[in-house]
Amino acid sequence: MDDFEKELKVGFLEEASQLLADAEQCFLALESNPQDGAMLDKIFRLAHNLKGSSKAVGFEDIGVFTHRFESFLLKVKNGEIPVSSSVISLLLVCNDHIRSMVDILKADLDARIDSSALMEQIESASHGAQAEEGAESADEEPTGLQAVHDVHEEEVFEAPTPEEVELIRLVNHSFDVGVAEVAPVRESAPVVKTVAAPATAPDESIRVSLARLEKLINSVGELVILQTVLREQSMTSNAHLLRKTIHQMGKVTKEVQDISMSLRMVPLKQTFQKMQRIVRDTSGMLGKKVGLVTSGDDTELDKTVLENISDPLVHLIRNACDHGIESPESRLASGKPESGTVKLNAYHQSGKLVIEVKDDGGGIDGVKLTAKAIEKGILKPGTVLPEQEAIHLIFHPGFSTKSQVTEVSGRGVGMDVVKTNIEALQGEVQVETVLGEGTTFKVVLPLTLAIIDGMVVQNEGCRFVVPLSHVHETLKPSSDDVKHTTTMGEVLLLRGENLPLYRLNTLLGHKKSALKAANEQIAMVIRYAGNPFAVLVDDILGQQQVVIKEVGQEIQSLKWMSGSAILGDGKPAIIIEMNELVKPSRKGAA
Amino acid sequence: MNHAKNTNSNRERFLSFSLGTEEYAVPLLAVREVIALPEYTPVPYTPSYFLGIMNLRGQVISIMDLRQKLGIKPGVDTETAVIICDLNGASIGVVVDSVNTVLNPETADLSEKPEIQSNRPTDYITGVYRKDKKLILFLDLSRSLSLEDHAAVRKSAEVRAPKAA
Repeated sequence: MDDFEKELKVGFLEEASQLLADAEQCFLALESNPQDGAMLDKIFRLAHNLKGSSKAVGFEDIGVFTHRFESFLLKVKNGEIPVSSSVISLLLVCNDHIRSMVDILKADLDARIDSSALMEQIESASHGAQAEEGAESADEEPTGLQAVHDVHEEEVFEAPTPEEVELIRLVNHSFDVGVAEVAPVRESAPVVKTVAAPATAPDESIRVSLARLEKLINSVGELVILQTVLREQSMTSNAHLLRKTIHQMGKVTKEVQDISMSLRMVPLKQTFQKMQRIVRDTSGMLGKKVGLVTSGDDTELDKTVLENISDPLVHLIRNACDHGIESPESRLASGKPESGTVKLNAYHQSGKLVIEVKDDGGGIDGVKLTAKAIEKGILKPGTVLPEQEAIHLIFHPGFSTKSQVTEVSGRGVGMDVVKTNIEALQGEVQVETVLGEGTTFKVVLPLTLAIIDGMVVQNEGCRFVVPLSHVHETLKPSSDDVKHTTTMGEVLLLRGENLPLYRLNTLLGHKKSALKAANEQIAMVIRYAGNPFAVLVDDILGQQQVVIKEVGQEIQSLKWMSGSAILGDGKPAIIIEMNELVKPSRKGAA
Repeated sequence: MNHAKNTNSNRERFLSFSLGTEEYAVPLLAVREVIALPEYTPVPYTPSYFLGIMNLRGQVISIMDLRQKLGIKPGVDTETAVIICDLNGASIGVVVDSVNTVLNPETADLSEKPEIQSNRPTDYITGVYRKDKKLILFLDLSRSLSLEDHAAVRKSAEVRAPKAA
């Protein structure tokens, strides 16, 4: 088994444990509310995921079993089998069985697992029920199955509905398959024990829930704040030892903070590995030859970011295969190698994580895009856009250059969703394209969502945090630089550019009477997305790293407030999303 | 719920507090703690009773003035306390005039709220309790604050007039 396959398998097992834990909760929830269709859907999805991924990574034993399990679930989902506690028990036992399979495989990736154990016992239980007598002695069975056995007997006894008979038939059916496979039950049991013991040694990691980690990080954040306060206080003190100790404590605190932040970091490796398959499947489906080259897959990033970046990446990759890489014939015709290449690369750049998806395909034709946009009524006829703007049309909702809807791309979840998802992670997408040579999508992401570099500004005695990444520059405008127009509001003249100038005061809904002269204030130029603009604030207090704290639900609908941060003195400050804040003003001006 | 049942023979306990000259109460189990009014940061584009956000040991929570919310005139010479409540898993600070006592009412002293013709919504009042000639109204906090506030906040965010500087 090569390393790649091994990674995949280990990854799957981690995932499976989680899925099983979820499934168990669902089963229990279902038991308390059997009419819950959504819950059944969820269970079905979980089982389906499990089946799909287990087969994909080559765990046939789990695959076969979950396949049976899934078809059984399907019947339950379709209402062919009513949800009774006997069904739930059966489901739970199956769940436990899959879990034990996963545990065995964790210890030994090559282990063969004998699912006939469960199937045989279920079968004997249902047989017993069918024959209206517990033929097999129940005390020979493990306790978990005992329950199923009993419930079965009782229920079928009293009301052998057609559904119940169907259940039995199904269970019998799965038994047949299981038995055809392998060895007797009793032998497999001791094997598990011997393998499981040494296996714990090499994998010296523990799974910790993200919630607990979050708690730790929160507390550490608090610690850092208190440490800062303490240091400020000690400045006035003459006690040498006290100051020295606080200084040292500061170092340790910083270290603890770094460590706790690093706990959330995971390498991109697994996500990248999944992409191999995506490329293979996609190119196969399209009849193209595409190879994926990855690099930098040991680059680490925050787990939350990682989880949310997977789907957009899949889309970008599929897109590269579908829209980017040309068909083998046209590639040969234009003198390129028959097989196209998609390069997936990740690296750190000035405190950000960059993921590049690069194809050597035909590139994006801005003129074609513009024409398409006009045809779709997105642009007015006769519009001519600058190259870069035309290319950004691909991010327009409802835009797809493929005239046909294929299975691969163009199903409505388009590049606009990719863009939205990435922006939700405080990231951005950049496109570079050369006609005939290929396209590069650059996804630039923050390393973590928990901490940002912020610029602390003051306005009307209140402090606000603006993400540093949003601030392009700050300047003290001279009164000549600021022009007031009645029709367009204030305009800042900056090196040949005319930027709309807003006042934070006004943006925050304060009264206009308090307006100060522009040259007494400081202008922040914001140009991280969309059209650039400038905002006047009273003062800039400094830059610092802040831990983002979520605010309560009741104010989460305020889009311009992306969160809050606790500043050095322990008071909370609002983190402002300037782009959102100026939106209404923009509309008003337009 | 369970606590109340175990310790106090099926009777739920309530924390009573003053709003102006009136007395109200909320289920004790929804109360996490009571603190003095801390420094808080106002949030623009929120209704006036939404005082802002505060730091509760590293957690940022919203703080609201229940008196303003219910349109009650604040009392004079009162200490002003903040009840930290747990509403559906999230914490919220509620400003009241003063916290009085824990009530353990007899079921006989409780009554349904009287049907009153009123322009004010009263659906957040869950019951009425008479004690020593005092009238104490039981509040459903999440109804009197959270859900409605949600809408209010959203509304005031939308209503903000587009004022280009």
